[in-house]
Amino acid sequence: MAHSSVPSDQPTATERFIAFLDARVGLKELQAKMLNEPVPGGSRWAYVFGSVLLFLFFMQAVTGILLMFYYVPTADHAYASTQYIIHEVDYGWFLLGYHFWGSSAMAVCVVAHMSQVFLWGAYKPPRELLWVVGLALFCIVIGFGFTGYLLPWDQRAYWATTVGVEILDKTPVLGDFMARFLKGGPTPGQLTLSRFFVIHVMILPAALMALAGLHLFLFRVAAPAGPFRGTPEEIKAKTDYFFPRQIWKDIVGMATVFAAICGLAFWEPVVLLEEATPDPGDYHPEPEWYFLFYFQLLRLKIFSGEFGQFLGAVALPAVFMVLLVALPFFDKDPERNIFKRPVALISWIVIMVIMALFTVSAVINREFLD
Amino acid sequence: MADERESMSPTSIGLGVLWPVCWTGLPIKLAFALLAMAMGLMHFENRLGLAFLMLLTSPVTEFAAPIISMTFDSHFGEGIGIPLLFLLSIPIDIWAFGVVGRTFFLERFRKEPPEGLGLTLWWKSALVGAFFMPLLWFLVSSVTETAISTSHSVAEMESLRFVFGTGLPVAERIGLEVTLWGSVASMVLIVLLTIGVSIIGRIIRNAAATAPPAQENYQGLITRWDLMRVPADQALLLTAFTGAGVVLSLLFWAVLPVTTPHPHECCKKAEAKAQGPFKPVETLNRNEQLIARLAAQVDALEQEKAETGAGKDEKEKGTGKAQSGQETAPPAVTKP
Repeated sequence: MAHSSVPSDQPTATERFIAFLDARVGLKELQAKMLNEPVPGGSRWAYVFGSVLLFLFFMQAVTGILLMFYYVPTADHAYASTQYIIHEVDYGWFLLGYHFWGSSAMAVCVVAHMSQVFLWGAYKPPRELLWVVGLALFCIVIGFGFTGYLLPWDQRAYWATTVGVEILDKTPVLGDFMARFLKGGPTPGQLTLSRFFVIHVMILPAALMALAGLHLFLFRVAAPAGPFRGTPEEIKAKTDYFFPRQIWKDIVGMATVFAAICGLAFWEPVVLLEEATPDPGDYHPEPEWYFLFYFQLLRLKIFSGEFGQFLGAVALPAVFMVLLVALPFFDKDPERNIFKRPVALISWIVIMVIMALFTVSAVINREFLD
Repeated sequence: MADERESMSPTSIGLGVLWPVCWTGLPIKLAFALLAMAMGLMHFENRLGLAFLMLLTSPVTEFAAPIISMTFDSHFGEGIGIPLLFLLSIPIDIWAFGVVGRTFFLERFRKEPPEGLGLTLWWKSALVGAFFMPLLWFLVSSVTETAISTSHSVAEMESLRFVFGTGLPVAERIGLEVTLWGSVASMVLIVLLTIGVSIIGRIIRNAAATAPPAQENYQGLITRWDLMRVPADQALLLTAFTGAGVVLSLLFWAVLPVTTPHPHECCKKAEAKAQGPFKPVETLNRNEQLIARLAAQVDALEQEKAETGAGKDEKEKGTGKAQSGQETAPPAVTKP
């Protein structure tokens, strides 16, 4: 039987469907805008953290929604429903473990992303607003960690929240109101859980989506900063589009982080302590591991007493955040090479060393207390 | 620019190659590691971080890891999955060395990469690692142990007790100790790592010494190393990757435990015993026999009770005559 090998000029069904969509939503233009962004100096592994953070947020949303099918946000059922998720729901232990370690991964990646932007000098004009919105996103990620920690309603959750709210209480003017608003009573109870739950699953995700959209918009307007080293000739020679090489690197980064989180969920699955009670018993309250350095810092003698507590709990973090916000506005030097910005390099190293040092100290202190 | 290339230090060459090599192979190695963990082929106690570092730096720890485990009795995990994973890492690392090495030769040295560069760099680096990493392990461990005990002694010095009245507060003391031993251990680690990276850098520089210079201009070289990473048949690569991803995902879900491997004290499940198959006719027969047997027992008991009751009445009648005028005891309460 003979058949024609002449290619047909008629478009296939898929092509017709894409043409239909394109005529109505401008699909090809959107695709060109999304993928054909030039990346000065070419793709780099250092640029993957932003995309990885988006992926992490997406995965946290997916696992969070699945957990919400079973979780009951009431003081008398939160603990039991979390235990039910861990012990009865098929793969529930893994979903909860992924969600738990995913929040840690978000904290790590947001610090890595901020470090990359800082070291690359990518916060400098004309990217000031991008940096400021990024800082707001950083605060939201921290807020996610803080509010989500209470939800299992075990001793660890209860006392970490108690300590956290007490720290918040030290803030002048607004502190008392914020602490009362969050707790909803003299001790954490049903209202605290309800409020933390609403903030965790409604307010913060909405804020994050809005600000992440703004962040991406500002990023596209300002364009990527590119590498801080290399002659213009070298940077031009290596300049590439966002697709396919940077997207490939981003996908590899996401796969790596996904595998790492799954590995952590296996290695250290979530195991709850006893149900929350207003009596700590033998339990020594402490926050999530990425807040440990700050918790240990507050244990220093200098931060004891009324003034010391204000200094450590409020003034120090406030000054640090104000400095970060103001950074692109007072650092007007166009030099971006980190090896020619000794103050910036030393400051970053000092902060990282302090964080590592006090985290290790907190772990040793825990052993000392036990 | 040419002078800059000639004067590149062995450390920057070693770092420029080793750093991307370690990260290039990691995603593939992690996928296999995850599968092995899900299958229960390997377990890590409190040394997951160390295991991750060993896997990340497998280009130099391939032979060093078993030597360290055997010599210093310091294992970072258990299970057949660990040696399997390190064996799987060999081709991955050779590939990673090849990709990164060729790029480095063209872009930084502006020289033609020799044939079999990946394999050459891998076995030489693994061999250096086999000697150097156990040495590094031994020195850093010894220095850290000594530094910890010394810093502990420093924190207990009488002069500090004098300065602070009642001695150093706990948090300050721990902070001081960690700063002291952490600084010493980090310095030793950084110096030794620099030496190790520098040795690898010398190996790479020696490999480049005999390589002929590349002829193209910079733009041409960039295009070449860029195209080197793009497969000839992209559709085939995409299909292969998607297929591998689907297979790995299915395998992962197949071996993933349905319930938690670490149950809480409150929620431990009772061990369920398997029940035999239900056979209705046999069960009915058995139950009928049981009912008949029980009915016979009941009849026998009733008969026995009736006989005992009759005998008792007769006895009571006999003794009643003898005890006339005396108070009679109340009847005993019996269960129905």
